[in-house]
Amino acid sequence: MSGVTLEKIVKRYGAVDVVHGIDLEVQEKEFVVLVGPSGCGKSTTLRMIAGLEEISDGDLTIDGRHVNRVAPKDRDVAMVFQNYALYPHLNVAENIAFGLRIRKEKKDKIAAAVDEVGRILGLTPYLERRPADLSGGQRQRVAMGRAIVRRPKVFLFDEPLSNLDAKLRTQMRAEIKRLHKRLGATSIYVTHDQVEAMTLADRIVVMNDGRIEQIGTPMDLFLNPANTFVAAFLGSPPMNMVKARIADGAQGPIAQFGTQTIQLARLPELANSKGRDVILGIRPEFVTVATADTVGQVKVEVDLIETLGSEALIHASLAGDPFVIRTETVGQMAILDGISGFTIEPHLIRVFDAQTGQALPGQVLEQ
Amino acid sequence: MINEPQLHGSKTEELIVEAGEALRRRKPSRMVRIGDHVKREWQLYLMLLPTILWLLIFLYKPMYGLQIAFKDYSIFRGVAGSPWIGLEHFQTLFGNDQFLRAIKNTVIISFYSLIFGFPMPIILALMFNEVLHQTFKKTAQTIVYLPHFISSVIIAGIVITAFSPSAGIVNTVLEWFGGESIYFLTRPEWFRPIFVGTGIWQEAGFQSIVYLAAIAGVSPTLYESAVVDGASRWQMMWKITLPSILPTIIIMLIIRIGNMLEVSFEMIILLYQPATYETADVVNTFIYRQGIQGGQYDLAAAAGLFNAVVAFVLVMTANTISKRYSRTSLW
Ligand SMILES: Nc1ncnc2c1ncn2[C@@H]1O[C@H](COP(=O)(O)OP(=O)(O)O)[C@@H](O)[C@H]1O
Ligand SMILES: [Mg+2]
Repeated sequence: MSGVTLEKIVKRYGAVDVVHGIDLEVQEKEFVVLVGPSGCGKSTTLRMIAGLEEISDGDLTIDGRHVNRVAPKDRDVAMVFQNYALYPHLNVAENIAFGLRIRKEKKDKIAAAVDEVGRILGLTPYLERRPADLSGGQRQRVAMGRAIVRRPKVFLFDEPLSNLDAKLRTQMRAEIKRLHKRLGATSIYVTHDQVEAMTLADRIVVMNDGRIEQIGTPMDLFLNPANTFVAAFLGSPPMNMVKARIADGAQGPIAQFGTQTIQLARLPELANSKGRDVILGIRPEFVTVATADTVGQVKVEVDLIETLGSEALIHASLAGDPFVIRTETVGQMAILDGISGFTIEPHLIRVFDAQTGQALPGQVLEQ
Repeated sequence: MINEPQLHGSKTEELIVEAGEALRRRKPSRMVRIGDHVKREWQLYLMLLPTILWLLIFLYKPMYGLQIAFKDYSIFRGVAGSPWIGLEHFQTLFGNDQFLRAIKNTVIISFYSLIFGFPMPIILALMFNEVLHQTFKKTAQTIVYLPHFISSVIIAGIVITAFSPSAGIVNTVLEWFGGESIYFLTRPEWFRPIFVGTGIWQEAGFQSIVYLAAIAGVSPTLYESAVVDGASRWQMMWKITLPSILPTIIIMLIIRIGNMLEVSFEMIILLYQPATYETADVVNTFIYRQGIQGGQYDLAAAAGLFNAVVAFVLVMTANTISKRYSRTSLW
């Protein structure tokens, strides 16, 4: 069971806590992505797991063994760094072999392992080259090779794709996913890019300011964000946030903003909570565009329509806040010209408490 | 292009040739381009000026006087007025046992300085790099830099005192262990070790700064990656730090080889005495005695020229070898 468990992990620099007691359980063979804005403590957390940073407080277990005080080399983890950390004076084969040589493995065993890794990563033609003579994507692959050649229990990745251009990043992302399928090793992956997180992860851990905001599968976080931070962080374009006040309508609670109202689902929390301030989270994908004659629509002021081929982004404003609608274009162009607002099913609107930013209980969307 | 008629193809070719011609015509000459560059970046050239002046005045102008190596020079006739005598001075020099001895001593002392003196700053820098305690590290560094800033005269004074037969610390310690007091500085066999050791003591610390700077430039993630891979500090030093600073080491080695015959001659003058000439007299001290003290300027110039030519050949050779085998070179 090569899982990783973090219990109340704290990192303190002097008097400042940068990681405030994180609890996380990574299952064997699971691919977990830590995602969050820059400076939220993702790298620090990962480096504590690797043993590059001391753990100030809490317990870390790898494969059932308490490893707080175990040296990095004895934790049986491998790490891939953002800037690849390749040795410039060694060629590709020697770079890949470095970890095995350090551990004084047998020569023929090293050669066989390097050969195999070269084949898996498509590096065989470049084994004699120095890192300086490789492209960014190839260097990235060598960095991966150095990690997988040791067959560690746990892989740690710290923003491994950040130095690549967009196209290569997409390609390498797919390659990492394929590699994980093939090797099936427990992986913890750090990124600030929500698209990377959504596409790679079995489970995503959203971090903010040294704390975990939510843990869940990509679709679960997308459909059921626990709070406004997660809601705004995942999805592109992000979820629209509309400040509103609860009122009583004929068919249950309604929300008022400006002069308009919108029907909400009958949540237990919303019964008898007339006047309560809430934030409505509305995914740009969940609304249906409306033209002048649609009944029950919410009106928006359209600024700009971006047509991206099969779909279009409508940039508008609602009660003074920006509001984005994403819609298909096929057979809809005529409607887009006359767009005046949108309609949405009540259960697709996510209601957050205006003070705490937490989603009101009882709202669960199934995939 | 392949399917197009021949006529069309040749026409295109013509156009290309024409375009190239036009481009060449419009491309300004080298001089004009340098002129433009000076105009645009005159501040940079202004900053370069003092160095160029220094080179011209102190290194190039004296070269005019070098011709006296081939002349029968007299102060009264001047450099231009003295008659040419060809290679006579060189014949005299190479017939002179003292000069041959000076060459031999120069080579031996240089060789020892290189063998023992060159690795020292590298070892020091590597050791400093391993020290984790910051206060200790800074104090130790300051202490080893210090001798560099002390005048050679004082250094020599310290050395002479330390090795003196009556009150010197070395002999005192020797006597504690039941040894005989030795007057080291009058013994030819002791001159080279003392001289080379003094040089190391004086300069090794300061020279280690270059290597410390090079070490500071190594990316920390290389070490972190190695730590995760399981490398010990010793392995990291051998497999990461040393290879990473190798280009710097090679550059320093080339410079060092180029200056190899420039034995720090004021220190020799301060430490040697007629009793130790046998092992201590080098080309530069020979020139000093012949030229300045003996008034044989032309002979001294010939000896100096010989020294310079050998140094030039040395640095060229070192650079070429390095360029071929390590992709690192001065130029
Ligand atoms: N050595 C250090 N000393 C003090 N603060 C640090 C140190 N290293 C990181 N931090 C702080 O810890 C926080 C988290 O950093 P990091 O884990 O690198 O964030 P990221 O999520 O971008 O990877 C940041 O606010 C950073 O300023
Ligand atoms: Mg980071």
